[in-house]
Amino acid sequence: MTTPTSGTQGLPDFFTLLGIERRFDLDLDQLGDRFRALIARFHPDRFVGATAAEQRVAAQWAAHTNAAQVTLQDPVKRAGYLLSLRGVVLADAEREPVPGEFLMQQLLLREQAAEAQSDSDARETLTATVDALWQSTLASFREAMERDCLRDASSAWVKMQYVAKLSRELGLPVKG
Amino acid sequence: MQIAEPGEGQKSAAKRRVALGIDLGTTHSLVAHFNGTDTQVFAEAGSGRRTMPSVVRFTQEAITVGEAALAAAVDDPMNTIASVKRYMGRALDDIDGSALTLTPDHGLSILTERGPVTPVEVSAEILRALVVRAASDLPESPAGVVITVPAYFDDAQRQATQQAAALAGLKVLRLINEPTAAAVAYGLDESVTEGAVLAVYDLGGGTFDLSLLKMHRGVFEVLATGGDTALGGDDIDQAVADWLLSQVAASPANSSEHRQLLMAARQAKEALSSLEVVDVDVLVAGARVSVSLTRAQLEVLMTPLIARTKTVCEQVLEDAAVGRVDCAVLVGGSTRSPLVQSTVADLFAVTPLCSIDPDEVVAMGAARQADILVGNRGDNDPLLLDVIPLSLGVETYGGLVERIIPRNSTIPVSMAQEFTTAKDGQTGLIVNVVQGERERVEDCRTLAQFSLYGIPAMVAGAARIRVTFQVDADGLLSVTAAEETTGVQADVVVKPAFGLEQTDIASMLRAGYEFAAEDMVARQWAEATLEAEQLLDGIHAALESDGDLLTAEERAELDAALIDLASAAKDSGDRSIDTLRNALHETGAAAEQLAARRMDRSIREALAGVGVDQLVVEDGVP
Repeated sequence: MTTPTSGTQGLPDFFTLLGIERRFDLDLDQLGDRFRALIARFHPDRFVGATAAEQRVAAQWAAHTNAAQVTLQDPVKRAGYLLSLRGVVLADAEREPVPGEFLMQQLLLREQAAEAQSDSDARETLTATVDALWQSTLASFREAMERDCLRDASSAWVKMQYVAKLSRELGLPVKG
Repeated sequence: MQIAEPGEGQKSAAKRRVALGIDLGTTHSLVAHFNGTDTQVFAEAGSGRRTMPSVVRFTQEAITVGEAALAAAVDDPMNTIASVKRYMGRALDDIDGSALTLTPDHGLSILTERGPVTPVEVSAEILRALVVRAASDLPESPAGVVITVPAYFDDAQRQATQQAAALAGLKVLRLINEPTAAAVAYGLDESVTEGAVLAVYDLGGGTFDLSLLKMHRGVFEVLATGGDTALGGDDIDQAVADWLLSQVAASPANSSEHRQLLMAARQAKEALSSLEVVDVDVLVAGARVSVSLTRAQLEVLMTPLIARTKTVCEQVLEDAAVGRVDCAVLVGGSTRSPLVQSTVADLFAVTPLCSIDPDEVVAMGAARQADILVGNRGDNDPLLLDVIPLSLGVETYGGLVERIIPRNSTIPVSMAQEFTTAKDGQTGLIVNVVQGERERVEDCRTLAQFSLYGIPAMVAGAARIRVTFQVDADGLLSVTAAEETTGVQADVVVKPAFGLEQTDIASMLRAGYEFAAEDMVARQWAEATLEAEQLLDGIHAALESDGDLLTAEERAELDAALIDLASAAKDSGDRSIDTLRNALHETGAAAEQLAARRMDRSIREALAGVGVDQLVVEDGVP
């Protein structure tokens, strides 16, 4: 089973919709502002008295706007979306084998996370390690996108998913 | 109905329209109207009571609702239905223990001497009674209603509420979450500062809700909701009643004594919000005993229940990942209790708002929202963004749940999932839709089964069936499906796991109409001609401003549809309602292209070169 995707088709891509440049690094405040301006236009509450045709169209745009905000706000989803806009089939990217070295590192970090629960010093060290790992994974995604190497970018995106999951479990913010 | 400027609602509507806000509560219900300056909560003629007990009595002779039904509850418990909201969207298996006789018809029906009735029908009676109560004070019949539901009501419960309104002949402008309505009643959607986080603590008769809301540049977002469908003032009454029985060391002789005991417990609880001690008269096994209950003792009895609300609150705070709460609102009669007020103050470290009657605050907010939705406010409307309370998913191999739409997604939302076929030549597929947070299907609520037919025959695994799940602004789910490689639309047949099917509603509506067949035709004709008139006006206006969006061919097609509609709407004696409805449908479909392109134009204009700040000012959103 593949990852669910936005159900709205035939509408502008999320970057075009929100009028922001198509790149990984973006201004989240600007994203929020644009989202709210758009949703204030398209929300079904604005079309309660309109025709059924208009209500359907508005609901579709509102759902699309909501999906844009949810997708672009989250770095992992945003990275995946950028890849899919470049024609990468995310389900295929996810099936690519992950380097054993990376998986071993993840296992190790998970063990440390379990041990660090009662040890605040160990926890601090671990937090720093995971944060550094997150930053380097983001950097390799950016770098691969700049080189236009979708293969490397896809592999960095898969790693982002692992590190983001670990960060969330440690209660760390997933920013980028 | 009119075609509004995209994004501008109905600001051109000159005349104020009447719309009502309805709090369809577990123990009591209210109806309110906002006239632009004041909110009126309608009272029962005679008694002046504004809360109406959500109690309906079905006897051979009549259906009675409210105080009259409640008064009969003690003597006629089997035919008197209270707290029906707990049964909405539920199946017989979900209910553990009831004083009523329940049957599995339509998922769940209640047997009365008038025959079996569904929870939807019972709720429809409550809604009818509320609208009748309001009607005598209003200049015209309401154009629509906003009905409130608990924030975490699942799809089946929302559908059931929607069906009850349809059965009562009401147009639902929107189902909104009760806590959100409460915040609207305090005008918090317009008054709080940017980024403020609000907590709405709603301890009603039968349910507990906590919602966290956040204000963002004129947009009101629901961050997270949580609650307990089986926790409320009723449970406190029960705890008090149990304690009273332990004091007199006896049990009630019959259900009538049991009800009287609960009523006495409730009155004592309410009195203790302002008094320190009350004497309660308890009638058990035919003997009357007086028991003294102190506020301190009541608070001991309430503590485990209040602790459950605290756990929910902490979970929601964690879900939403918010560190602080700027403002708390109290809703529900149980929040009059000093213990509850101090608990909430401690929990959120703010003094909670309680200046509006906590029983009325939800209906008042619903009335304000109804006024906005019916188009009386123009384009300065504050906007309310709501979320889906529980994740939606589908059953996969081994009874596991695959999540499609995660909980707390802002609605409307639309997500798609791809499925494929398991066998060569397979042309059908069954998709089991569930709602809930657990990993296993058996721990979630099965909402419906979607059967997809008409998939083109291919080898196993070749078909790519894209199933799109949409949740609209009322939180209601719909599903469409298409085979991607061939573009063939699969037919989706929905079999709801709970409640009534559309055909049941239609036949109940027909049966329920008190009109003779002739009146019915006249009424339908009047409604349809009005709709045609408004549609024609709207499309003509849209064509005048944006007619260039259509190709000559499309324009000709739409013009032809308009001519057909105008002629079908003319009363030439035969009044063919089917022809008119058909023409309405055709014209609506023909105008869809225009509506879509007008929307496109509106977005491009909004985005082209205009700074977002200007855009916001232009929209009138502060």
